[in-house]
Amino acid sequence: MKKLIFCILLGLSTNTVIGQKKLSYVEYDLPNGLHVILHEEHATPIVTVSILYHVGSKNENPERTGFAHFFEHLLFEGSTNIERGEYDKYVENNGGTLNANTSQDRTYYYEILPSNQLELGLWLESERLLHAKVDNKGVETQRSVVKEEKRQRVDNQPYASFMYEMFRRLFTVHPYKWQPIGSMEHLDAAQEQDYIDFYRTFYVPSNATLSIAGDINIEQAKKWIDKYFATIPKGQAINLYRDFENLSDEAFKAKYSVDKSKFDANNFMKSSTPEAKRLINAYASKAVEIPRPNKDTEVLTKVTQDTIYDNIQLPAIFMGYKMPDQNNPDTYAIDMMNEVLSGGSSSRINKEIVEKKELASFAFSFSFGLEDAGLGIFAAIASKDVQLDVIQKEFDVQIDKIKNELISQEEFEKVRNSFENKLVSSNATIAGIAENLADAYVYQGSTEKANTQLENYLKVTKEDIQRVAKKYLTQDARVILYYLPKN
Amino acid sequence: MKKQIIALAIALPTLVFGQVDRTKQPAAQKATKINIKDSEVFTTENGITVILSENHKLPTVSFAAFMGSDPKLEKDKAGLAEISGSLIMSGTTNRTKDQLDNEVDYIGANLNASSNSISLSCLTKHMEKGLSLMADVTMNANFPDSEFNRIVKQFESSLLSAKSDPSTMAQNAVSKVNFPNHPYGEVMSEKTLKNISREDVINYYKSNFSPKGAYIVVVGDITKEQTKAMIQKYFGTWNGVAPYKQAYTSKNINKGNRVIFVKKPGAVQSVIQVSFPIDMIQGDANQLPTTVLNTILGGSGFGSRMMQNLREDKAYTYGCYSSLNITENGSWLSAGGNFRNDVTDSAIVQILMELDKIANGYVTDEELNLIKSSMAGSFARSLERPQTIARFALNIIKYNLAKDYYQTYLTRLENVNKDDVLTMAQTYLTAKNCNIVVVGNEAILEKLKVFDADGKIEFVDAFGDELKEMKKADITKEKLIENYLLAVTKSANAKEVAKKLKKIKSLEEVSDISIPQAPFPIKNTKVWVSPATEGSKLEGQGMVFQRTFFDGKSGYAMSMQTGKKELTAEEIVEKQKTSGLFPELNYTANQINYELLGIESLNGKDVYVLKIAQPKGESFDYFDASSFMKVKSFTIQKEEEETQEITMEFGDFKEVSGILFPFTTNLIAGGATLSGKVSSLKINEKVDLSEYK
Repeated sequence: MKKLIFCILLGLSTNTVIGQKKLSYVEYDLPNGLHVILHEEHATPIVTVSILYHVGSKNENPERTGFAHFFEHLLFEGSTNIERGEYDKYVENNGGTLNANTSQDRTYYYEILPSNQLELGLWLESERLLHAKVDNKGVETQRSVVKEEKRQRVDNQPYASFMYEMFRRLFTVHPYKWQPIGSMEHLDAAQEQDYIDFYRTFYVPSNATLSIAGDINIEQAKKWIDKYFATIPKGQAINLYRDFENLSDEAFKAKYSVDKSKFDANNFMKSSTPEAKRLINAYASKAVEIPRPNKDTEVLTKVTQDTIYDNIQLPAIFMGYKMPDQNNPDTYAIDMMNEVLSGGSSSRINKEIVEKKELASFAFSFSFGLEDAGLGIFAAIASKDVQLDVIQKEFDVQIDKIKNELISQEEFEKVRNSFENKLVSSNATIAGIAENLADAYVYQGSTEKANTQLENYLKVTKEDIQRVAKKYLTQDARVILYYLPKN
Repeated sequence: MKKQIIALAIALPTLVFGQVDRTKQPAAQKATKINIKDSEVFTTENGITVILSENHKLPTVSFAAFMGSDPKLEKDKAGLAEISGSLIMSGTTNRTKDQLDNEVDYIGANLNASSNSISLSCLTKHMEKGLSLMADVTMNANFPDSEFNRIVKQFESSLLSAKSDPSTMAQNAVSKVNFPNHPYGEVMSEKTLKNISREDVINYYKSNFSPKGAYIVVVGDITKEQTKAMIQKYFGTWNGVAPYKQAYTSKNINKGNRVIFVKKPGAVQSVIQVSFPIDMIQGDANQLPTTVLNTILGGSGFGSRMMQNLREDKAYTYGCYSSLNITENGSWLSAGGNFRNDVTDSAIVQILMELDKIANGYVTDEELNLIKSSMAGSFARSLERPQTIARFALNIIKYNLAKDYYQTYLTRLENVNKDDVLTMAQTYLTAKNCNIVVVGNEAILEKLKVFDADGKIEFVDAFGDELKEMKKADITKEKLIENYLLAVTKSANAKEVAKKLKKIKSLEEVSDISIPQAPFPIKNTKVWVSPATEGSKLEGQGMVFQRTFFDGKSGYAMSMQTGKKELTAEEIVEKQKTSGLFPELNYTANQINYELLGIESLNGKDVYVLKIAQPKGESFDYFDASSFMKVKSFTIQKEEEETQEITMEFGDFKEVSGILFPFTTNLIAGGATLSGKVSSLKINEKVDLSEYK
């Protein structure tokens, strides 16, 4: 159970990160808007190639929830030059591994390859960005894979619905009200046009960050990036090119009033006829507008208490609070507050609720910041014969205590040490580094933020921790969920 | 022409679209040579071998101590090492568990222990504090009574769940049957757990945690001089006994295939594990080619042969794998998965066929190359973790490997050829001397006999211990039912039974249900009115969770989750057959298919086992062989793809209106236990049915 809940948290949170030893990197934009980040280190002969697309479930049509995640699956199907089902094989046959994940705010793809296969990784990712190809069979297959994934990871897992239940009560307006896994009915209802629109809107260079870390030579890497990515058309020209590839002669002509034959199929962007040049220039200068929801401004005004019946054996309690978004400076103090309450076996919640009073077999608090809002959760799985309101009372005792009293000097030093250790370890792998750099660039406004996290944590004072506890742990405005066994 | 374009593309960094040949996979560059740094090794006066792998990438360090003793046979205390390992971090003579937790967390460190190791990782600047804690646990663990009792309780509940988990049952049988008189063949059971005392744990700790023959592997941001100083300061005074040394073998001594069966009543799937010991220990020159062999056979995902054949081609299963376990004390191979009942025998045929086939012909170049690249890639990725380098260093010393064993790994992997794979298959695999473990439904037993060389299937229990065979019943099934009805109505003959039951016109029984996990009381009410009206209701906290009703012709079931559902025609027919106070009365009239299987032992008492066919499964009733009371009932039902198992235990029989009713009922389903105690039982009083209709 413990493992499971951690999995859920990891799966959904965008990682906050970074440590002491400063990471070195080179970054630049290609003319088509793709942002590139390169980190060179030669300890191990491997390389991570990743692309972060700034699109997640919060960008979905409310009638098509789950689409961003579903789309992630579809983009492993193939491209104009990669046959269906060959993505995995190219990577695995060459000694690599690959995966992807989707959250509320982002879709992230990566390969870890032997470093002599960097060019392979760039080719694969540029194909995904330029002209992915999905046929009906692929759609059907991935639909059932996603459904199986939901069954395994949500429906068949005890308590796994708590994120869904919590988010939809904390957010009634913002698209955070639905989960990245979304609705299977919505996926069933999706039409061809939905796929085309989603791809043309969000899978464009100006919405993507290419982050590479590992055993690379930066100059060589830049040359290959130019070769595979600088050649991807700018602005709406990418969609003009996609139409050129996909539409029939008649359909293309009808849409653009220009014959396809006016374009050079082998060298599209350098087509020499005046008609083609005019069209390409016009579309290249037209930016792709990326719709983004407004930040969440909804204020929670009351206590919502509900009971959920689930396939579980032990009852559980989940209490949710509104927290600020991930860029709010209070985030650091909030993380440290949670560390006092719930970090390690000597933390307040574990010692009091799990070990001394034996009220719960497992209890913790955590919070996470998303791009447009944040939330904090207190959770416990009850011990045998313990009623949930008793646990709730004990949580409230702990919450009152951290609001009313400064934490001790010893606790303060403990959490500072703990953050130092965590942040240092978070850069232990090149896969982690590539991801941390990309996240900092996209969600915190600057790649360098990946290097200043620890400083920010160490600036937090005991008074800050008390202040954020008072400000955000609002006992008269929260969501309380009781999970009880179905039968 | 295309070649020229590529050449051009590389020469000119700012390119325009169309000049890239996107149709072909880019060629790989020359591979970077892997360089694994040699570790520093030194020994201390008190007998520790210290292995240091310096790595200054991050300001962190880890110390991992591995004890030098070989595993010992535990016999009737099987599980002692496991229990001891779980207890090592529960306090020392200098610190309570709370203090220890607090001090570890204070420096943001991780400190963990197992039955023969203890490891620390922390920032280098907190190393001294961390080492003082690690040393304290290594030398002064004190195993408080309260923690001992807590951990034993934890193991008791995990053994309970093991008894219903077919994969664990199969694993236990595989261990026992392949490793007789070997520590790997010892499996903790309820019996052996009872024999383990706190003193045993203390003795285990004293005889295993000793510097003599121990290894401490140090990895990270630390120099050799610092390491020497730290080890001297914190482990210099550590004393202990000489390590226990015992070599174990893993030879296949079978003469022909054996079938070992673990009964899982009503199972709809069989767990199959075809297994055999392999005479090899870690560091063997053949380890690498044998690993390549197993990966092709069934050790990787979709690419491997067993998966292709049994899943992709035959669709017998969701997954079929072979696993090769090579350890310092012996090795084994085990192949199988979960299979539908009706293909259990066919699946065994195919698994044996694959074992045979790979020893009788070359693997293809494609198979071999794919597996080699994927193994090479995962080797390279593993090097990123400093712990991998440390493990390599430890293995080199512990297993006497060549100093460049891992440095040459990729070259040796590249050199594995089809002949090697075939030779390994012929040397180590067998399809004729296997231990075929099946956990499943007895209905498939007959079909398994052909696989056993002497035709005699061996039966073992959930922990792999020999199971006594069920005795033949000494009465007929009709007589058993008759005796039961006589006993329950306290009658001398059938006439009296009928007379007594005829007098009963209605019943209303109220029970208090306690669910250990539920935070509030639950009440269950059952009503019955002659001849065939019945209802039930489950309620708590002012809510009705479930209600059912049936009047002989129609009825419904309501639950909070699914709402009210009228009974279907099928369900009505079923209800008509099984309703009434004692459905056994009508077994013959309703043409119920039932069978008396025999006498077995239940909680130390003989019981008759009666199997009754159900429309969607079957049930097993257990009758006490001396009192004839029904003490247990086990039902297994299959609904679409889901299997449901329900166990009911009956006790505390009390007489009401001349009939014995159980006043306690435990219902066990889905891992939860509902304990019911009857608080009131009224016969022939007015029953208000309005609430149910």
